[in-house]
Amino acid sequence: MADQNSTVAGQAGLAEHDGGTAPGADAAVAAAGSAQEATGRRGPKLGAVGWLRWGWRQLTSMRTALVLLFLLALASIPGSVLPQQGIDPAAVSQYYAAHPTLAPLLAKLSLFDVFGAPWFAAIYLLLFTSLAGCVLPRAYRFARGVRQPPPRAPRYLGRLPQTAQFTVAMPADQALASATAVLRRRRFRLRSDDGWTAGEKGYLHEFGNLLFHVALLGLLASVALGGLFGYKGNRLLIDGQTFANTPTALDVFRPGRLVAPSDLQPFTVTLNRFTASYVMSGPQRGEPLSFNGAVSYTSRPGGPSRTYNLQVNHPLNVDGVQVFLIGHGYAPVIKVTDGTGQVSFDQPVPFIPIEQSGLSSAGVIKVPDASPQQLGFAGIFLPTAIDVNGRLASAFPAAIYPRLSLVAYAGNLGLNNGVPQSVYSLVTRQMHKLPVAPRPLAPGQSITLPHGLGKLTFVGYRQWMSLAITYDPGQLPALLSALTALAGLILSFLIRRRRMFIRVTGDGSGGSVVAVGGLTRSDAAGGFEVEFAELTEEIRTALQASQPNSGRPAGDEAAVAQAQGE
Amino acid sequence: MANSGLAQYSNVTLVLAILVYGLAMVAYAFDFAFTKRAARAAVAPATAPSKAESPALVGAGADRAGLSFAADPGDPSELADLSEQDAGPAGGGPGDSVTIPTYLAGEQPRWPTGTWLRTAFGLTCFGLLLQISSITARGIDEHRVPWGNMYEFIAAITCAAVLILTLAAIKFRAYYMGLFVLLPVVVALAVDVVVIYTPAGQLVPALQSYWIAIHVTAMIIAIGMYIFGAVVTVLYLISARVERRVAAGTARGGGIMSQLPGAAALDRLSYRSILFAFPAWTFAIIAGAIWADHAWGRYWGWDPKETWSFITWLVYAAFLHARATAGWRGKRAAVIHLVGFACLLFNLVGVNLWITGLHSYAGLPG
Repeated sequence: MADQNSTVAGQAGLAEHDGGTAPGADAAVAAAGSAQEATGRRGPKLGAVGWLRWGWRQLTSMRTALVLLFLLALASIPGSVLPQQGIDPAAVSQYYAAHPTLAPLLAKLSLFDVFGAPWFAAIYLLLFTSLAGCVLPRAYRFARGVRQPPPRAPRYLGRLPQTAQFTVAMPADQALASATAVLRRRRFRLRSDDGWTAGEKGYLHEFGNLLFHVALLGLLASVALGGLFGYKGNRLLIDGQTFANTPTALDVFRPGRLVAPSDLQPFTVTLNRFTASYVMSGPQRGEPLSFNGAVSYTSRPGGPSRTYNLQVNHPLNVDGVQVFLIGHGYAPVIKVTDGTGQVSFDQPVPFIPIEQSGLSSAGVIKVPDASPQQLGFAGIFLPTAIDVNGRLASAFPAAIYPRLSLVAYAGNLGLNNGVPQSVYSLVTRQMHKLPVAPRPLAPGQSITLPHGLGKLTFVGYRQWMSLAITYDPGQLPALLSALTALAGLILSFLIRRRRMFIRVTGDGSGGSVVAVGGLTRSDAAGGFEVEFAELTEEIRTALQASQPNSGRPAGDEAAVAQAQGE
Repeated sequence: MANSGLAQYSNVTLVLAILVYGLAMVAYAFDFAFTKRAARAAVAPATAPSKAESPALVGAGADRAGLSFAADPGDPSELADLSEQDAGPAGGGPGDSVTIPTYLAGEQPRWPTGTWLRTAFGLTCFGLLLQISSITARGIDEHRVPWGNMYEFIAAITCAAVLILTLAAIKFRAYYMGLFVLLPVVVALAVDVVVIYTPAGQLVPALQSYWIAIHVTAMIIAIGMYIFGAVVTVLYLISARVERRVAAGTARGGGIMSQLPGAAALDRLSYRSILFAFPAWTFAIIAGAIWADHAWGRYWGWDPKETWSFITWLVYAAFLHARATAGWRGKRAAVIHLVGFACLLFNLVGVNLWITGLHSYAGLPG
């Protein structure tokens, strides 16, 4: 077995490998085997190089590529069905809550981060290795072959897939010259010899195919570039607030692997005013019409301030960093006076929308500075409050009839026990609920807390917008790669590589027999037979036009081709 | 706005278009039943001349660049099974390899022949014009591209499918496809009108971009071609099966299959449709990525819709590779083709119904 396979592995065939035969070298030899051993001696054992060659050939075969394409498609499916950490972390938490036993198992298999999973990376890296291993040698052969003349014309053109034969009344050399001129005019690459001409055309087919595949490698490199040097961040910005583009000022910061905090472009953005408009009537009532974030920004500290109207689909571009408007909501302004008469809290608190049609929003207010006891509030903000069978709801996303409904707590907020807390949730373990009338507050109204704990005023509300800040140096290369790939694809689909052969022999009476043959590489879409027919017709017409005595009938023109038996 | 005259006109013409398509289907069926044509399909693989690579060519000259040209299948009517081609042994004597160039063999007529087929094709074109006018009216009414929700999107892709049907019929003489393409079109349009009708209206801010005209239009064209290609592939699989059984002597030719041009020609037509659809799909994905970058700050984010368009792209890429791999041509490649189309359909319907993502605004009302 090893005997056979050492020679199999020795063949450097790189085209299409269909039959995979396992090499039979034993592992010890393979591990110890040196390159010299494997190549220099025709021994019965397959060395490391032989093994590598065999593996490489398997990997770069079309069949493997096919399997890897399918595997990649299959591997992507869980990423679309299960919630993904990188896309919707809240949904992942919900999944954990709903499936407490299954979720940790799925997490172990990276199924909540499919597109960053090692097994996913393994598949696409194998696919791209296979692609490179197939395409790069082909590119090398193409570069060499592109300067070579076409092959010699076969002896019997009648055996080609496309053939035709006719006679003309002129000497053979003259007929061949005229026929060759037709091919030259059609820009065939030509090779002529005694009695025949071979022409080839359509090198751009293979070029386009290679371009497509090489561009895919470029696309992968671009994505990697973005993953290493790019970063993403999110920031919620209330009307009137300013933020600087630093890791600490961002609510969420996801840097690429090679990004240092000092690499961030030092711009600042101020939200002057956020406005949203909605459809006021009709079946689409309440659907958003437009979102506008009027911002001013400076590209570096102390630099000139510019203004921009931030909209969905119209990001702000600062120093190659893009700032997107991705969300919006309300921030009720809350003022809390504690039991000692001190104003211990006075600021807008962003509430998060819990539904889109009326933009009811939930949020919490934490007042750690209040004394004698810390205070906490959980509330719902209703932009257009209505009463639905005794329950409060919001009928419209714009703040037409804004109301704030709160539940009050007093006690220990638990902020100092070292466990990080979300600003959007209240830990009430060490707190007790205060008996406060559940009357929703209108702007300007207050609730007085019992036991002399203080007073809360719903001063008013502001709007906020959330921003996505992204920097991706691989963006432009990725676009160029993708467009190059598309161009290569179209080239390879539009152009077919084909060969035309002409053989002219004298018929012994001053005339000549012209045989034309045509060949194309797997012209699966068809169409070459038409081009061949047209070319043959053109050659025949050209020959007849240049016949010395046009009066004489030109033999049996367009005779059905017949292979010459000689 | 929802009840304006143009929107009403759009609704009425769409229903009319469905009726006209239905009539066209009847006429196509009558054409199959009553018009006697010389059988288009030559169901006799055993007698097909075996053409193969000329031995003189395989080793010809300096051709060591991996360029061994496979045999051209030649006239489709001669060859019943394309997949047999490369495996065939070299032809016997020189007399075997007589090929009749297509221009001498006589082409099929460019325009439809026979009363029923002419009627059917005329109705198809009329229905198409009605549907185009319906879509245009809605677009004028809404002052935007009329493919901003699922209802409009289905109207647009079925329109694209019929448009591609008529173009392919003329260009490739594929009039026989009429009945088979109109069937899914009529079903989809009926569901569209009855179940998922949405009144004319404005676009949500996320869709207010000129990229909708580029990205979604490219998607619509590509999907129209994919629909056409999938229907051809189903016919190919049936046709190839019938031909195999006829060759094995277990079935007789005839019936509706004899009205079709044979498996080899269908195979080519389905491949041709992918040669157009795949670059269009690739372009649509790239355009979508550019738009995603403008709107969401990243050109690719594995949103379910993005993921499934990627999966669809991969499977169709696998189909193209299978076509170039020995042992995978023919039936297996056709199955991959249909798997790709199933992924496409899942992306259109399944992702909207069962998975929420950034593309959710494209979903169904209520």
